[in-house]
Amino acid sequence: MSGEYSGVWVYLQQSKGDLLPASLELLAAGRGVADKLGQQNVGVLLGNNLEPLARKAIEHGADAVLLVDSPALETYFNLAYVDAIYALVKERKPYVFLFTSNEVGKDVAGRVAYRVPTGLATDNVQLAVEDYNNPALGQFKDLLIQVRPDFGTRLARIYTPKHRPQMATVRAGSFSPLPADPKRKGKVEKIRFEAPAYPAKVTEVAELPPQVPDLAGADVVISLGLGILKDGSGLPRDPREAYGHAQELKKLLEERYHMKAEIGATRALIYAEIKELEGVIGKSNQVGQTGSTVKPKVYIAVGISGALQHRVGMRNSSKIVAINLDPKAPIFKIAHYPIVGDLYEELPKLTKALGGAGSAS
Amino acid sequence: MLIIVLLKGVPARTTQAVQIGGVLNREAMDLVLNPHDAKAVEAADYLKRRVGGKAVALSMGPDGKLIPLMKPLFDSEVLGIDEEYVLSDRKMAGSDTLATSYAVALGVKKVVERHVRPIEEVEEAIKKGGYSEIVKARAAELYRANLLPNSVYSELPAVKGSIVQTFMDGKIATQTALKELEAEKQKVSRFVIVAGIKTTDGETGSVGPQVAEGVSELTGSVMPHATYVEDFEVDAEGSSITAQRMIGYLSQKLEMSLPALITVSTEYRPRTAPASAQIAARANGYRGKVFQAFKWTADDLGADPKRLGLLGSPTIVGTGIDVGKPPVQKTVGTSLVFLKPSSQLEYEGRKYGPFAQGDLVNSLPEGLVAKFREDGTVGVFDYGMLAGELVA
Repeated sequence: MSGEYSGVWVYLQQSKGDLLPASLELLAAGRGVADKLGQQNVGVLLGNNLEPLARKAIEHGADAVLLVDSPALETYFNLAYVDAIYALVKERKPYVFLFTSNEVGKDVAGRVAYRVPTGLATDNVQLAVEDYNNPALGQFKDLLIQVRPDFGTRLARIYTPKHRPQMATVRAGSFSPLPADPKRKGKVEKIRFEAPAYPAKVTEVAELPPQVPDLAGADVVISLGLGILKDGSGLPRDPREAYGHAQELKKLLEERYHMKAEIGATRALIYAEIKELEGVIGKSNQVGQTGSTVKPKVYIAVGISGALQHRVGMRNSSKIVAINLDPKAPIFKIAHYPIVGDLYEELPKLTKALGGAGSAS
Repeated sequence: MLIIVLLKGVPARTTQAVQIGGVLNREAMDLVLNPHDAKAVEAADYLKRRVGGKAVALSMGPDGKLIPLMKPLFDSEVLGIDEEYVLSDRKMAGSDTLATSYAVALGVKKVVERHVRPIEEVEEAIKKGGYSEIVKARAAELYRANLLPNSVYSELPAVKGSIVQTFMDGKIATQTALKELEAEKQKVSRFVIVAGIKTTDGETGSVGPQVAEGVSELTGSVMPHATYVEDFEVDAEGSSITAQRMIGYLSQKLEMSLPALITVSTEYRPRTAPASAQIAARANGYRGKVFQAFKWTADDLGADPKRLGLLGSPTIVGTGIDVGKPPVQKTVGTSLVFLKPSSQLEYEGRKYGPFAQGDLVNSLPEGLVAKFREDGTVGVFDYGMLAGELVA
């Protein structure tokens, strides 16, 4: 069945006249899979007048781009986008189809997968190509291995053995974009799309201010967890103090070292809705499976035990410092610089070593 | 308006998840209502206050576990859900999002048919019997079964002029009554499906859009959907919903003719329904709440068994993967590292190095380490070195 299916497709998203950074990452992800399969890495781009972006996709790793260019696709509208993509899938039969795990990628991928029909593995953090043997189903060569956090405590492989394309959404931040190579050549094929009448329409589009803090773009992320509620003696501590220490470190890194630093937090801390942190720590600070995926140069985990859901959001950071009281905390399994101790003492020491006041309290 | 709220029972604690070959065994775990579904219930409440109608819960899983979970949702006369339907069948166990959405879409279709059919029965009774008491008797029976809206038949003193009553009083002709009933049928068919943005176990967020696609497939139409809805308004006639949703840096307003599906964001705060909506809302309302859950099996749904459960699921959950080797760790206060670079050297007939500044002292002979420590080549990793490495 899979013989006639070929090509790794990558659904590209654009905003304000440029490809999303996550789409460049996805092109890199598709490139890796396509190389292992010996197939083409094909960008799929929908919109109006997007030829320059199609070229950009080729520079970043696409072998070809299917450009569905139509005034009807100027604004993102799920029903039209699903129809346009489904028509392409049905006609050209890709082997793998990747989407970004964001509002748009999931919106489109879900309906397309149902219509094909095929499976959809969401929120993957890794992709691989392997053979797969299943005593009940048979042997499958060169399957896409979709790796996503499973419910509970592990990363699981998801297979789509019998259906094509194998569809997956990939979390932003899981892959690094390939550097632009202006010499790369590839075909941009324009495809027509006529939108039928739909029982829905987009009536308004408004731009929102960029997300604050910009966790994904930071060089250093200092993240706080529930551990900040207690100090080394086990007594409750005002978490604003820990937040203050983190702020001091952030300021120091920015002013003295010109490193862009942001404050992150675990889901547990945010959902605890701590009164003292109201207005300073919120959902936009969340790092982890349901928040942002980050891979800064330095990640400083303060009072974070490191549940899998948090680790998948930061485990690709270049240098991980972890400060925690519990030597058995899972965060230490991935930390390059484990510090077992009272964060109210250790964090100021670090700040001080960097040349700050590090006023221990 | 028929409001169908999709609810899911999820494991209460991640540590307690019981898995069989990568599939959660929900029967063996404590389940709680998916936390994101609370927003779907809030949205259903708003729709009911604004337009009137009936909010029904639709869920899939072991009925013995799910029915108690839904009990607290019947929480007051007006708010909460009015009826519950549970799709429960061994054949559905192990469903991935595709197989789940297929089953749920079948459930939606059946719930809607269950509410359109009674109006048809009243139509048929009128066609057959004219002004006879049979029409009223049948209507009363269906009304008490919570299947006819007050606008068709009512025993509420506050509701005047239901279609059946005005017809029985001879105030409207047969043709007019049939026309009005037809309009009521259309109203029931303009239903809304409301769901949470995702569940805390699967975390896929795929089932909402896929149910919309499934209902489209089963009814041969196109059902619009909007995910991550932060705010929405429904028109007074209950014919369309305008949903505001976030897409990255954009906020989009999507106007959807009903029937449609929305998944409700955690940011959603219900609006206040205008007082003027009350009378119309009451007319569109039903008799009340039915605490007895309706359980439907795969056969009840007329499901294709090949599209259910593991058999109908294209994806397979495989083995876990190694999250990667633990990194080389340097611990402040204990790790020994090179304080300065050291070129290759021979010690007791073996070659070591070269070493760079900051390299960990690993598996070197004790004597060599002692020598290095003495001459200051090697020392304990401290905060100063850590600071240097972090900003390097």
